[in-house]
Amino acid sequence: MASTLERIKKVTADLLKVDASKVVESARFVEDLGAESVQSIELVASFEEAFDIEMDEDAALAVKTVGDAVRFIDKVLAGK
Amino acid sequence: MTMRALTRQEIETLERQGCSAEAWGTVRVTDGFDPLRVRHTMFAGTVDIGRLDGTFPDAGDGVRRVPGIRDARLQDVRVGDGCYISGVRGGLVNLDIGAQVLIENVGLVVCVGETTFGNGHEIAVFNEGGGRELRMTDRTSAQIAYLSVMYRDQAELIKQLNHLADRCAAQRKASTASIGEGALIRNVNEIRNVRIGAYARIDGATRLLEGTVDSSKQAPSTVGTGVIAEHFIIQQGVSVTDGALVGASLVGEGSRVGKQFSCENTAMFANCEGFHSEACSWFAGPYSVTHHRSTLMIAACTSFYNAGSGTNQSNHMYKLGPLHQGIMERGSKTGSFSYLLWPSRVGAFTAVMGKHYANFDTSDFPFSYINEEGGKSTLTPGMNFFTVGTLRDGEKWPARDRRKSADKLDQLIFDVLSPYTAQKMIRGSRLLQELGDAAERSAEYVTCRGIQIKRLLLKTCRRYYALALEKYFGDVLVARFEANAGKGLREVLKPAAAGEPGTGEWLDVCGLLCRKSRLDRLVADLTAGRIASQEDLLAAFKVIHAAYREDAWNWCLASYREITGRDLAAEPAEGVKAFLEKWKQASHKLLNMVAGDAQKEFEGATRTGFGIDGNGDADFVAVRGAFETNKFVRKLKDDGNKVDQRFDAVVNRLV
Repeated sequence: MASTLERIKKVTADLLKVDASKVVESARFVEDLGAESVQSIELVASFEEAFDIEMDEDAALAVKTVGDAVRFIDKVLAGK
Repeated sequence: MTMRALTRQEIETLERQGCSAEAWGTVRVTDGFDPLRVRHTMFAGTVDIGRLDGTFPDAGDGVRRVPGIRDARLQDVRVGDGCYISGVRGGLVNLDIGAQVLIENVGLVVCVGETTFGNGHEIAVFNEGGGRELRMTDRTSAQIAYLSVMYRDQAELIKQLNHLADRCAAQRKASTASIGEGALIRNVNEIRNVRIGAYARIDGATRLLEGTVDSSKQAPSTVGTGVIAEHFIIQQGVSVTDGALVGASLVGEGSRVGKQFSCENTAMFANCEGFHSEACSWFAGPYSVTHHRSTLMIAACTSFYNAGSGTNQSNHMYKLGPLHQGIMERGSKTGSFSYLLWPSRVGAFTAVMGKHYANFDTSDFPFSYINEEGGKSTLTPGMNFFTVGTLRDGEKWPARDRRKSADKLDQLIFDVLSPYTAQKMIRGSRLLQELGDAAERSAEYVTCRGIQIKRLLLKTCRRYYALALEKYFGDVLVARFEANAGKGLREVLKPAAAGEPGTGEWLDVCGLLCRKSRLDRLVADLTAGRIASQEDLLAAFKVIHAAYREDAWNWCLASYREITGRDLAAEPAEGVKAFLEKWKQASHKLLNMVAGDAQKEFEGATRTGFGIDGNGDADFVAVRGAFETNKFVRKLKDDGNKVDQRFDAVVNRLV
């Protein structure tokens, strides 16, 4: 099974229509990958569906980079 | 005033000072009249003049004046005590001028024939093509207008409403126009058939025809430079200035209009603002605001609304005429250069961005974003609930109520979260669930009532509504405890005896949130002719307004029971505490989300352009400040502390 990072890369690249090579751990969703406000919540919803998890809304706000998302989702998956 | 004829000596004095009269026998004065204070004045018809002694109050321009009449022509006029009238190029005709009125450097101020001063005049509000005419009066409130404009299918009701308006107009009907005590009329070309209220300030207006400028000492109205108004009602505490054009329109209490704003067939209620823009058949409920050039408000019904620059709507499909109309429910906003093709209905507290050619109805999805994506209209339900703007709006409206009159016409409920928005969120949640259940996993969008929603967001948006409902039910419970200090748990939680029972529907009657059952009874009373005047109708709306909190409590009890199966009124202390825990959690979550939204104003692209020659971050902080020290952000922290304090205070009462 693909790693969390790889799955996040695919979801992010598909949703934001960016080249997957740009979706690196240090990439910021808003500034570097161009996520607009509605797209930010779409990303959360996409991660929820892709990983079959539920992300707390205000906690998810702290997720700014791809790396943050990997750590956040790994933590949620570990708690399942 | 007790009037007497002029003495021979007084007539001789007046004539020596350049005065003349058609017949001195019809010029009467009060005892104490000083003829030395009247110069170069012509009298025609019946003229009564009060005392002209003492000094004139400061008119705000630093010029010292003494009461008197100079360089004027008065025909069938009563002049109150202490007036200052000077430089009337045309004439003052058929007027009843109150005490201490200033009239200076004017052309004509006349009343010709019988007039109702704009009262009873019909305006084609909301639908430019007609069929929803509002018969306006100086006592028309937002709620009276709502019934008159929106309930057109009830012919007998409309007949009665028009009858009440006609009665009011008949009471105003006169062939003499009054100018109230303390009014100021200066540098005006023409005022014809206009009733001017006490302490009104008409300064520099170009032309005012067939209207009312209602005003009082508490809530004076101002009509300023270059204003042209015809067939109009200006209510108390209004400011119409700087080249505004007001045609067949009502400007409601505390409203401000100016900077070349133009309106026709428009009704603007409490605390509206219109600058630069154009309005046509706009039903502008309380706190509707447009500030920018290139904005056209047409055939729209709004309240607590803010128009971004270049906001536009179309009500015309070049078929049968300008027949279309649209509703933007309370709290909506339209972004810069947004466009809506009527007919559409936008749900409460929704932000509209982009251009929309679809006809949609999002009324069951309050607190949403409506965006344009590649020409498609998309909806993100609930997303506007946790934005800085919505929270700020809810706080600023009551703080910005400019109405000073003790007898306010419009009955307003300011609550952002209310049974009205809560019932819609409950319906919206069910709809989102149904849409989600029916959608294929491969679908990118689902369509609902003319608008598209991203399938992925259906679940997320339902969670937003769940959060908002948890917050609302808790807010109401905590407020109930606070309003019933010293009372025991069972006493606090019991249904309100005077409130409407059950989960019945709530309406937004142009700013007044109320149970539909209450409005239905009022409509029945009106239809049956049991309400005799607009004053009685205004009083009936006050009663509905006063019942809001009790009705809301009962609705919350019933709705909570319906949603959860639990009876909050019978809940033991532990159950109430658990309920409050959820409220506390939801409140903090909301505040965190709003803080997150506020943080966006301090990071990333928002810093673009700061530090023109370097030092971008330092320049940004110097101009905009830091996130942590921002006033709004600090207030959010305070609000969080208050949530904890309120929680603790209520929980302590449960022990």
